[in-house]
Amino acid sequence: MNRDKEAAGYTAADQMIVSAAHQIRASDVIYVGLGLPFLASLLAKYTHAPSSTIIIENGIIRTTGFPLPAATDTLGSQTMADQLTSLFYIDCLGQAGFINMGFIGAGQVDRYGNVNDTVIGDYLQPVYKFPGSGGANDVMSFCQRTVVILRQSRRRFPEKVDFITCPGYLDGRPRQREEVGLLPGTGPSAIITDLGCYIFEDGEMVLKSIHSGVGVTLDQVKAKVGWDIRVSSDLEETTPPTEKELRILREKVDPNRIWIGGKRRHLRQDS
Amino acid sequence: MSKVMTMKEAISKYVQSGDILFISGMQHGEPSAAVHEIVRQKIDHLTFVSCLVTSSSLLIGEGLLDKVVTGYIAQDEKRSYAIAKAKAMNRVPVFEEYSHFGVSLALLAGQMGIPFIPTSSEVGADFLKYNQNLKSIDCPFTGEKTGVVRAIVPDVGIIHVQRADTEGNAQKWGTMGVDQEGINASKKVIVTTEKIVDSEVIRRDPNRTIIPGFRVSAVVEQPWGAHPMHLAGCYSGDMFGFFAETGTPEGYNTYLERLVHGVANWEEYLRERRLIKGEKYFDDLCINPIMSEPITTGY
Repeated sequence: MNRDKEAAGYTAADQMIVSAAHQIRASDVIYVGLGLPFLASLLAKYTHAPSSTIIIENGIIRTTGFPLPAATDTLGSQTMADQLTSLFYIDCLGQAGFINMGFIGAGQVDRYGNVNDTVIGDYLQPVYKFPGSGGANDVMSFCQRTVVILRQSRRRFPEKVDFITCPGYLDGRPRQREEVGLLPGTGPSAIITDLGCYIFEDGEMVLKSIHSGVGVTLDQVKAKVGWDIRVSSDLEETTPPTEKELRILREKVDPNRIWIGGKRRHLRQDS
Repeated sequence: MSKVMTMKEAISKYVQSGDILFISGMQHGEPSAAVHEIVRQKIDHLTFVSCLVTSSSLLIGEGLLDKVVTGYIAQDEKRSYAIAKAKAMNRVPVFEEYSHFGVSLALLAGQMGIPFIPTSSEVGADFLKYNQNLKSIDCPFTGEKTGVVRAIVPDVGIIHVQRADTEGNAQKWGTMGVDQEGINASKKVIVTTEKIVDSEVIRRDPNRTIIPGFRVSAVVEQPWGAHPMHLAGCYSGDMFGFFAETGTPEGYNTYLERLVHGVANWEEYLRERRLIKGEKYFDDLCINPIMSEPITTGY
């Protein structure tokens, strides 16, 4: 895989961010979570979706680019916004149906798109405790299309999560979301990882494309899913990044390499 | 009537053991100086209500909290020395978990003076199994399922703002997180401010006032009062510096000894900070200001 990566001129992480950016449509209003969603949203803003609106939960609404923040709220992400407001106002926009796309990271995601950001093991006797929902539950509850982006491993792709922090299609039966009181026409629409892209058919996760450009194979994908994953009848090779996308990602979106290339690095908060 | 007092007075007078305490500043301009004073005065058995408040780790690590009401906070002892320290003292608080919107709604219901508020978040998630203040009910009008969040009315709320007058008319700008509903839900309110300004300054731009003076109990002038967090129009932050500094047992305990208990007040904290970080530290956090056009009022 390493040799192929060098030959390709980009990494699986680059592919993940670019594929996530491809989920964004020209005029989307996007509720963006911390980390990789920021990279993808800024990349889309600087390429095919210049009129998209980026919404950050602390109370930031903007249609212009901004320096990649190391946290959701920094002076860089606030300054020269179109509107600065409150979390309450942002979530009212979402709950009333005015935010069509959500973009979140995840601890774990399961067969029906349920996300766990809360606990591994029993809630009262945890093996590991994540920090919790933050705004992720709100994003997944409200947005018409929520895209989840995470690095893939078998541990992070269990058939059923231990705790539902953000409801996907619950147990996969039709109309489950509406029955518990979630808004109609909402839910996860895609999962993007460093191995492939997944969509949902009848509430179940389906493998749609494989990052073959960086040498990923179907067997590798299957080895990192905790159930027998459905594979799309028209399984594709993931659209690779263009040279322009890679250049913008490296030079404009994340020039200080805060997020690209693995772990988050903390430079100055507003560098 | 002026409500101006020192931080020491404000905290000892208005924050009591056993209180439900709201701390404003969702990753923007939290009242760090006030939190340090609560730790210094060892006010304990608090129920702590907030979203993304960085200095909360000091309250946890010193065992001052019985309960934490929030949406996102480090809870694993391997990742948080504050949790590990609390665990060693058998003082790990109970965590009552919501989504961020859930916390905001609980406070909004408190501000509105109503017992609960409906929502279409939280439902479908497993919070409802463990958090007794979230429920699913049948809508009395349509019969469909809806989530409900129970009101929270904090005994005391603390907010840090850019400017306030001596009466407590307080103005904050930048992102507002859960400030507005949290502070307005609170029975008693402490305003800490970068600067005390003439009431005329407030009255020339009164839309910016987020709580009126008659709701405020105490006003404390505290420059750099949100450090290590940033504050719009004032200074950038060093949140990651704080995390790095307090992330190890040695670092955490040195911080407590030197920067909390080793100083009498925030002015001494700032002086120690300069000694530790160097003269340039605060200069580097200063911003390049952007001025807005003033609004016009009058008749």
